Amino acid sequence: MSHTKTMPPEYYELLEQIQAIDFVLVELNLYLDTHPKDYDAIQQYNHFTYESKKLKKEFEKKFGPLMHFGRSYSSYPWNWDDTPWPWQV
Amino acid sequence: MEHTYTKYYYPYISPLDPCKPIIKKSYSTPPNLYLGFQPPNLPQYNTAKEALYKGTLWPALYDNYKKYSLRGDES
Repeated sequence: MSHTKTMPPEYYELLEQIQAIDFVLVELNLYLDTHPKDYDAIQQYNHFTYESKKLKKEFEKKFGPLMHFGRSYSSYPWNWDDTPWPWQV
Repeated sequence: MEHTYTKYYYPYISPLDPCKPIIKKSYSTPPNLYLGFQPPNLPQYNTAKEALYKGTLWPALYDNYKKYSLRGDES
């Protein structure tokens, strides 16, 4: 009988979507550092920021907090208490 | 002229050099070296996932960055 906890595939699918969106945000952010007047890029940046927040909210509703120290809400009881920890994902 | 990601040079090999000579050495030349200031509105990859897997949002800046063993160095 396997003692190890396993996460459903959707857990990793959602995480990869978040990772992809956040990567685009990194790229746009670096681009905007040198192109502060590029209106279209700013629009795209805000669009992806909205998407990123939406995805993270959806993830946290299903799988609990993504981050701690006030960067994610906690349900009751405290649920920043179990594997997989971020480095174990 | 088509962009090349890797270029090569041929180090001088001294007859006095006790070590095994490196005949041909490679160095990485990603597109951003030749781009200068990035123009606005460059075409982007269609999906965030593709951009993530390619390592850049803009195809013009893609670099396959082969690992060392595949770069064609000869020693």
